[in-house]
Amino acid sequence: MKISRRQFVSSSCSLVLAGAIPRMSKAIPKEKKNLVIIMLRGAMDGLTAVPLTSDQYLEEARPDILVNNLKRLDQNFSLHPKLSTFYRLWQNNTAAVVHATSIPYTGRSHFDGQNLMESGGRVPYADKTGWLGRGIDEAGYEGLAISLPVPLLLRSKNNPNNYFPAKWPLPEREIIELVGDTYKNEPDLFRAFQKIKTRPISMMIPSRARKAHELAEVAGGQLSLPNGPRVAVFELNGFDTHAAQGGSDGEHGERLGEFDRVLDALEANMGKHFENTLVLTLTEFGRTLNQNGGYGTDHGYGTAILMAGGLIKMAQVFSDWPGLKEKNLFEGRDLKATIDARSIYCSALANCFHLDFDLVRRKVFWNENLTDLSSTLFKN
Amino acid sequence: MSKSFFRKVGFGLSDLDKYPSNPLDWAIDQVRNPESYSWAGDIPTGDFMLERYARWVYQDRKILREKFKENRHAYNREKNQLRVETGEQYYENLELCIRHHAAIKGGSPVFERFLHFWGNHFAISKKDFLAEFSVGPYQREIIRPALLGTFENLVTSVTTSWPMIHHLDNSESIGPSSKSAEWREKKGKISTINENHARELFELHTVSPKAGYTQADVIQLSYIMTGWEHEHSETRLECNPVRFNWKKHQRGDHSILGHLIKYRGNSSKNKLHDAIKFLTNHDSSRNFICQKLCQHFISDDPTNQMIEPVVKAWKRSGGNLPDIHEAVLRQAYNFSSNHKKFIMPETWFLQMVRMGELSWPPSSQDMEYTFKFRPSALQRKPEKLLRELGHNPFRPIQPNGFPDTLREWVSPELLIRRLVVTRKIATQLKGLLLEERKLNELILRNFDNKNEIFEYLSKTRSTRDKLILLFCGPWMLKA
Repeated sequence: MKISRRQFVSSSCSLVLAGAIPRMSKAIPKEKKNLVIIMLRGAMDGLTAVPLTSDQYLEEARPDILVNNLKRLDQNFSLHPKLSTFYRLWQNNTAAVVHATSIPYTGRSHFDGQNLMESGGRVPYADKTGWLGRGIDEAGYEGLAISLPVPLLLRSKNNPNNYFPAKWPLPEREIIELVGDTYKNEPDLFRAFQKIKTRPISMMIPSRARKAHELAEVAGGQLSLPNGPRVAVFELNGFDTHAAQGGSDGEHGERLGEFDRVLDALEANMGKHFENTLVLTLTEFGRTLNQNGGYGTDHGYGTAILMAGGLIKMAQVFSDWPGLKEKNLFEGRDLKATIDARSIYCSALANCFHLDFDLVRRKVFWNENLTDLSSTLFKN
Repeated sequence: MSKSFFRKVGFGLSDLDKYPSNPLDWAIDQVRNPESYSWAGDIPTGDFMLERYARWVYQDRKILREKFKENRHAYNREKNQLRVETGEQYYENLELCIRHHAAIKGGSPVFERFLHFWGNHFAISKKDFLAEFSVGPYQREIIRPALLGTFENLVTSVTTSWPMIHHLDNSESIGPSSKSAEWREKKGKISTINENHARELFELHTVSPKAGYTQADVIQLSYIMTGWEHEHSETRLECNPVRFNWKKHQRGDHSILGHLIKYRGNSSKNKLHDAIKFLTNHDSSRNFICQKLCQHFISDDPTNQMIEPVVKAWKRSGGNLPDIHEAVLRQAYNFSSNHKKFIMPETWFLQMVRMGELSWPPSSQDMEYTFKFRPSALQRKPEKLLRELGHNPFRPIQPNGFPDTLREWVSPELLIRRLVVTRKIATQLKGLLLEERKLNELILRNFDNKNEIFEYLSKTRSTRDKLILLFCGPWMLKA
């Protein structure tokens, strides 16, 4: 199938893996845990993914884009029907939700918001590294990025090894060897070339398989290797549904469906290693409670984090729910965020990298006032 | 002098280039008297492109979204049609062709290298549809002509340009005690400044963090900049020329880095010019920019010995860019034998094309577009090719642009991309370079270490593989 550029862009993703090769590791050597971050660019609507099962305010605010055929999660919340893998995992106690959460950014600009969700800071562009990159540095792992270029989330003072399927073929092995020989007096180039030469054939062939769930198959395989990478990052675009957002079959649902396919591919390709894995979503902010004139929603604040994997403590919607009455909304229009999303990411980093929560909080999140939720959300 | 000088500051020499009798004069003349564009096809103006941008966002946001609110398939179909009509997938490619044509076929390759440097210094990162419609004309019309004047003038042009104002959200910035803020307060709305543009003007564009500015300085500079905005209108939305709107401006005196920017009454727009005058003539700007220029053209790790004469030229000329560029060229010339500089992927690609007289970019006839169908594969190739190389100069991820040192670019996949692109070119090649004589001449013309290169090339018999070796060897990745 020929994919048009626009289709490509709307469904494109990149994937980043970070290796398990310790450099002066500060982490205590324990069993390998995997952390997968799925960035949902464009602002994922928590109220479409995980809506209240029945709520007067939600129904009044969104008469034309309400989601039907919901899957019931608990007394209050339900799940979008496109999230079928997530629901299956939920039933196995390996999926959970944090609701009414966000990074502490209320400016409603994608550009600034995405910068902050990746840097982990409060001031757009003030930081040139990402929280995951800093976390990897702190744990002393060497990074392997599967993306071109490396997203801010993964940037740190160390340049990660990287891979992303090329569209055109590489030269033959012999000529690659010859090129490598020319670098004998260039240590940096030489080292990079050694990494190329030791790659499996599967990473050396051209591929147009750049859809997230296709890359998830590669990622799942790599994460399963005992000495393979232990961090993967995906980017899914297209959550900015100002128009024709729709309910069950709408554009937002389609995007959630793509997320669900990634989850499915990861689980299928990781086998038992999925038990030592944590998958978390990351988005810049949520969307307005009210539908707009184009049957879509605009930029908001509070949203949800979808979590899955064997390291999930139990199926739960963890929330300090603020309610959807007008007086309970942020600036009278958006779901409030009552939990700083960075508390979840900080807890996940500490848990997966075997690091002390407070160390991560200080070193990676610059001493921000974050709460350790590890024992509430994750298995130790 | 090393022959690598021609790649350090230009794109190497082709068979058609006459070997300059005085390479330094050859280079200096270009930065002082650059040729204008020789692209034979249409070169759209920035105003025209802003109108196109407006049509695209207005039609999508205000018409299609409402009209097809219940049918996302119809919405997507109509949106694709709008892409075709507005050239949303076309203009970026056209702009890349104009840029590449000037670098490869033009008579002032050295000047083009400086344009590429400054375009990256004042980067417009991926946001909205800036890469599609605005970054090309911005580099051609705002930055290019300003390279014959002072740094102060360049910063003024960039700071008040539509793409930069939009890119860094200055239109969203409202002085908290401005007239607009008063009105908004009556309606129960809060008014705040947006610090993005002020912060980058300090950090990236002028003095850099080494100047030691504080958050208080950022707020003060944000106040000074309030009111500089693009007007919002019913049918063009944000796509209107930049103006100074006194109603949003925070009046009064402000102090940045201990320097007083005085209240200007009815001509408060000039407070920004006063601030730019101060910042661009600050020691920290001079040191920061001279270091950055030397890092780009001479060595990944420039020494004080390299930088000092450039700083002197800046002081002597009052920040006159042709004088500063001349000093950079002199230093690049002086240090060309002993210091090699990493070459960024796009520059490397353009050097390969110019030196080898490869057929790139698509011609002006190839780029003629009807706005009836999706652009052809060839018309979309410039963007695709640069994306494969990981270096589309119109799409940096961050406002700090692309890095330019080996340590930031040396990664397995980025090296692989150079191999992949060279293989593709070598496979499709016809004529010229397939003749051994031509290939040998290219090497003699551009490299000092011809014996070493010939020795490596002799290890393979296939001309295609010889080209891959030649263009991916360390002698090409550095100059």
